[in-house]
Amino acid sequence: MAAHEILAATNAVVTLDVALPGTVWPWLVTVNMWAKSIGTGVIFMLFMLLRMHPESGNKLRMQTSIVAFIFINIFLLFTLADLHQPFRFWHILVYPSFTSAIAWGTFMASAFLGLLTLLLLVAWRARTNVECNTNYDKILLWTTILAIPVTLYTAALLSQCTARELWQMPAESAQMILAALLSGSATMILIGGDKLTYEAKKTLGVVLGLSALMSFIIYMSEYIFGAMKAEEIAFTLEYIKGDGAYTVMFWLGQWMTYILPMLLIVLSRSSKSESILKLASILAIVGLFIVKHVWLMIPQLLPMS
Amino acid sequence: MQLGFLVDLHLCMGCKGCEIACKVENEVPLSTWRLRVKYVDVGTFPETKRTFTPLRCNHCENAPCERICPVSALHYLDNGIVNIDKERCIGCAGCVMACPYGAIYIDPQTQTADKCTYCAHRVASSMMPACVVACPVQANIFGDLDDPTSNISQYIGAHQPSVQVRKPEKGTNPHHYYVGGGNASLNPLASARLEGDNLFGKITTLPVGGHH
Repeated sequence: MAAHEILAATNAVVTLDVALPGTVWPWLVTVNMWAKSIGTGVIFMLFMLLRMHPESGNKLRMQTSIVAFIFINIFLLFTLADLHQPFRFWHILVYPSFTSAIAWGTFMASAFLGLLTLLLLVAWRARTNVECNTNYDKILLWTTILAIPVTLYTAALLSQCTARELWQMPAESAQMILAALLSGSATMILIGGDKLTYEAKKTLGVVLGLSALMSFIIYMSEYIFGAMKAEEIAFTLEYIKGDGAYTVMFWLGQWMTYILPMLLIVLSRSSKSESILKLASILAIVGLFIVKHVWLMIPQLLPMS
Repeated sequence: MQLGFLVDLHLCMGCKGCEIACKVENEVPLSTWRLRVKYVDVGTFPETKRTFTPLRCNHCENAPCERICPVSALHYLDNGIVNIDKERCIGCAGCVMACPYGAIYIDPQTQTADKCTYCAHRVASSMMPACVVACPVQANIFGDLDDPTSNISQYIGAHQPSVQVRKPEKGTNPHHYYVGGGNASLNPLASARLEGDNLFGKITTLPVGGHH
């Protein structure tokens, strides 16, 4: 039953109540998710390049480490900025509750940042001592393994928000990994420049295009074409349908992140144009922020009581 | 001992005495509420009726707020009350997002989470919660759910077919019951919220924690 049908059936109106709280988790949390996708995504991509295209991957250890380090720090900084008591952040380390995905995420992200710092130091040393690259690659293996739960934990955290049914969908974990692959490959195309061979760029383009395609299919089948919806999700999705408050932003995000990059990647392969590939990458990175923001905002618009 | 609440909506007349008593007892800051009474009108004139629903923390047996809190600021007391340690809270608002009942808010003065504690401080001194004392029609019934002779257990037994909890599908097992509730009064999605339905006229939402 659609939202308007439920309201018509009950014919009930709230006539006196307090004002409800506004947005609880604002754009700061969007930055958090977006930056984390890039920070872990580039690690996945470097790991892949070193195996599939070592001639390109070998030249990108330092750049990748710097980019991952910066974006994971942005992620942590905005996590801190969103706290109402940021100077009590250390409480998580002293009084952790291990039923909480927030606590697990804090420990994993801290360990991940530690490994990234180590990667940076080893990459720096490798400038004068090439043998350090072997150590780098060993640390990278563990960093890549840890990047998987660091990417996924946000889905676990949001699924602990029992109140917001939209975030309870099992596909959200897949969306988190796909977002990391999409933003990681797009960032790698941009930072790789001339260090990437044409074949390596083609591979990154395929990763970008396929992750965009899969992510888009999941969004469409869950949000737009899936007919069976729980009452709460039906109400939430009203915000991205018709003249909903987030309809324009939702479709802008879908076009920028998924549809246009997919088309541009096909075009770049047929025309062998690297500029078009870079344009697809920029659109995907910017669009991902919009997609994540809509996903974060719409469940927060529903009255809980 | 597992303390619980029951509100008989047949008796509630929407006087908001409980709301004010709670505000005073717990010094709840402006723009926030631990307990509030919502008015919902159902039907079309002249066949209309008004429902009054006191809304507070449900002190769930399986509380999502307790589970998501990264520092155990939200914790269970031995008597089943879900209590909060404001000194430990880091203000991540995870509990605000997790609570299916919208019962948790960010205190604009302390910038920490806060909510109804069933007046745990009064209960510890063998007193009833402030809202129970203030209710002129004894619509609020408070007591030990584990004790079959308590008022609340007997009331639940006597009114069993019409005893309900809010959002049972969430699996939270609330320790807060209603008698005489309906879809319009207990389900927030079953009633329309039009501009101007609240105490502050056209203010429909308030900033969380006083900023953002």
